[in-house]
Amino acid sequence: MIKVVFSAGVMLALSGCAASLGQMRDAILNPNPEVAMTVPQVNRAAIEQADLAAVLMLSPSIGLGTVGIAIQLRDGRVVYNSNDNRGVTLEGGLIYSTLGLGTNLQAVTTQDNDPLVREAKAGEWPSQVTRTYYLSQRGPTFAEVTATCRNQVGRNLSIDVVGAQRRVVEVVETCETDTGDSFHNVHYLDAGTGRIWRSSQWTGPVQGNIQVDVIEPFETDG
Amino acid sequence: MKIKTQGIACLLLLSTGLASGLAADGISGLTQAIDTPRPASGIADDLAILFDYRKEYRALSFGFQPSDRLEIGISFPTYDEAGGTTSGNDLSLGLQLLDEGAYLPGLTVGVVGFGDDDRGSGEYVLASKTFGAVQTSVGLGWGRYASENAAGRGDDDGVIRTDHLFQGDSEPFANIVWETGTYGLIATAEYSGVAGPEADDTFAASLSYPLVDGLVVTGLVNNQGSAGLRLRFEANPTRPFAQTDIGRGPHPYVENSPARASRPQPQAQQVFDVLKKRLESDDIRIRRFAMTDDTIDVTASSSQDPVFARISGRVARVLSAVAPANITTFRITQNTGAFDSNVVVLDRAGLDRAVGASDAAERAWEATTFEASPLNRPAALGEREFKPRFSYGLAPTFKADFIRSDRLELTGTLNANARYTFSPQTFVSGTVGYRFLNQWTQQDPPAEPQPRSDFTSYTPDLPYLQSLSLRHRFRLAPQLYSRVSAGLFERAYGGISGEVIWRDPEQNFALGLEGTYVQKRAYEGWFGFEDADASTVIGSLYANVGRNGDYIVLDAGQYIAGDFAVGLTAGRNFRNGWRISASTTWSEEENSPLKFGAAISIPLSWTSPDGGASTTNLSIGGQSGDFGSRVSGTGRLYDELRASDKRRIEDGFGEFWN
Repeated sequence: MIKVVFSAGVMLALSGCAASLGQMRDAILNPNPEVAMTVPQVNRAAIEQADLAAVLMLSPSIGLGTVGIAIQLRDGRVVYNSNDNRGVTLEGGLIYSTLGLGTNLQAVTTQDNDPLVREAKAGEWPSQVTRTYYLSQRGPTFAEVTATCRNQVGRNLSIDVVGAQRRVVEVVETCETDTGDSFHNVHYLDAGTGRIWRSSQWTGPVQGNIQVDVIEPFETDG
Repeated sequence: MKIKTQGIACLLLLSTGLASGLAADGISGLTQAIDTPRPASGIADDLAILFDYRKEYRALSFGFQPSDRLEIGISFPTYDEAGGTTSGNDLSLGLQLLDEGAYLPGLTVGVVGFGDDDRGSGEYVLASKTFGAVQTSVGLGWGRYASENAAGRGDDDGVIRTDHLFQGDSEPFANIVWETGTYGLIATAEYSGVAGPEADDTFAASLSYPLVDGLVVTGLVNNQGSAGLRLRFEANPTRPFAQTDIGRGPHPYVENSPARASRPQPQAQQVFDVLKKRLESDDIRIRRFAMTDDTIDVTASSSQDPVFARISGRVARVLSAVAPANITTFRITQNTGAFDSNVVVLDRAGLDRAVGASDAAERAWEATTFEASPLNRPAALGEREFKPRFSYGLAPTFKADFIRSDRLELTGTLNANARYTFSPQTFVSGTVGYRFLNQWTQQDPPAEPQPRSDFTSYTPDLPYLQSLSLRHRFRLAPQLYSRVSAGLFERAYGGISGEVIWRDPEQNFALGLEGTYVQKRAYEGWFGFEDADASTVIGSLYANVGRNGDYIVLDAGQYIAGDFAVGLTAGRNFRNGWRISASTTWSEEENSPLKFGAAISIPLSWTSPDGGASTTNLSIGGQSGDFGSRVSGTGRLYDELRASDKRRIEDGFGEFWN
């Protein structure tokens, strides 16, 4: 009897946990049904044919989606830019900065073994990661928000990333800032390599989460 | 959609709020429960405009929190009394001495109606504690917090006293404020020991409801037979209703490299053409372009973007991509319309080191110096001969002001403006006004024309010539800005005026001197004069102080009535174009009351993404009365130059890369 109760309790706890993770994910990826998203049609074939590294950037807080092409490599970070100069800078899979997607994120610094930067499989992520976000304020010195994130591995599944099916593992980060706020990031990692194909990351208290889908990854020569 | 709705609502509020100003009442501008005080509930830079209406009084008040602990309020109450009304003009201060702890309460002290001998004066000390959604406060009050009609405190024929503070009878008070969590409703109940017409103690209750973000309406009632409504507009300039950075992003910055030097280098015309075309999409206009040796000199402006640091950054971004490799310096000149005021000098190598860094704006600032624009510059690309132009417009203005010297009333005027601009420096302009709201009964002219207090002797109910004057602005030296004006400056005065301002772009202060000779305008008709003249000579110090965008303007000299007076304006500029200020004027004339005024300038880009650089301006009180009053409408230069202050540009430098 004790075993039954214990098992039931564990199942209940697990199902509750899974449900909350799912709700969390859905809330992050579809945060505001009042804001209609404008997502461009993406010609994946043309991007592949031109051998361009490209990402689809979605800003749910302003309902805007746009495609960015890799145009610069600066200090190991790839700068993606759209036709109207909206863009993100990615350090590995970490959104380092944003432009034109809402209230700009100026920069993010993180610890050396941040799995978003270093590309690690889901089970190999450190238990927590601390990142510092830089946002403009009055004067030349940026405001800093430091967040500590713990991660939780979710489902294995197959997702459509701008017309390509990817086998991924879901990882949800739950983060708390030094100002007492909290937020969540959701990442879909390649099941084999840990490369990030889709990621929704917090980029500031006003802009909220930005989602990046990797259409074609940036590959360095050699 | 929601964002736009909020913006529109905000604008509607500002206009409707002003329109209802006559039926308004705000007690002190400080945070309060109903009539009793409570600790500041906001954060630094929170701003509130309150309109309170009750049968026995009405008032309009401004509240501002310069820091998390300090509140400043300026209010203009009007009390109905037997046979008439009395008006106040109160400055109030609230200071949170101790924050709430886990077990200990917070401690706040406040002084209301400072410098006022009317019934608005009072002081309090309170302790407060928050339990979840409930905040409780208990305290002890003097003056207005101890008696319904605590007159005769704090002022003695223009001499401000302080010996009454926290003196005399005192009464306890307590209040409880509950954020219900239901539809944003806030319920409040309070007790005070102030006796009224119906009972020896006062109990009151209120319910507040947020109509839209930033606008709260409160219904209130007490056991003394009083009931009323309060409208509260809340905003924080640092937290715009509209999300920023949703338009086009800036062009990518391209670092200079030795490899670029080995490629064919573009000519000046090519660089100019690309620069102009790319910046057009950012609504940045290039008025002048010169490329010499190792320097590119650009004069840039935007009708949409009030942040010149961001304009400079966007220009630098394009130049980084198209300028020849040997160019080491980008000089970006700021033009105010009449003047080339500053040259922002950017070291290209410094920008190369800054871009993309986590302290990119700080590094860019280190790569920046300021210079005064030379008086004469050689011909350059993009310069076009100025074509004289005629412009006109029709605009209503609302203003709460003292029509006579002691009573605040709201005025509404429809102005038809016309202007002929001969050159960027010279124009003639005129305004015909019609006062459609709060006209006055025309009084017989006094035996001797008065500086201001005879204002109601002017014709109230016909279109009138508000102003018709010629203005010419020019620089005497790179750091010496000047102006001459002549004509009818305002309803009451016409004459000639001259002004000189010295400002060094590297300094955070400027000095000015204005001399004006005027003749009193006729009470009837458009062009005549009365047999009375006046001259003013007023020196000014304009200083940016501290690191929060704070500034002061200190004026001193001979004012219209021939009196020596000192005016002080203290305010705060925000990087997004907001400006909030409070002012007061002291005159050597002992019987002149010390009066306070407030002004707010709100950029439309704060309320709507499509707002642009234009602003909505609200002002209340300020210069009035016969003493400590100066001629308006002469075209003071600092209003044009303030956006060029080094500190203003530094304030916006966090946006350099945006």
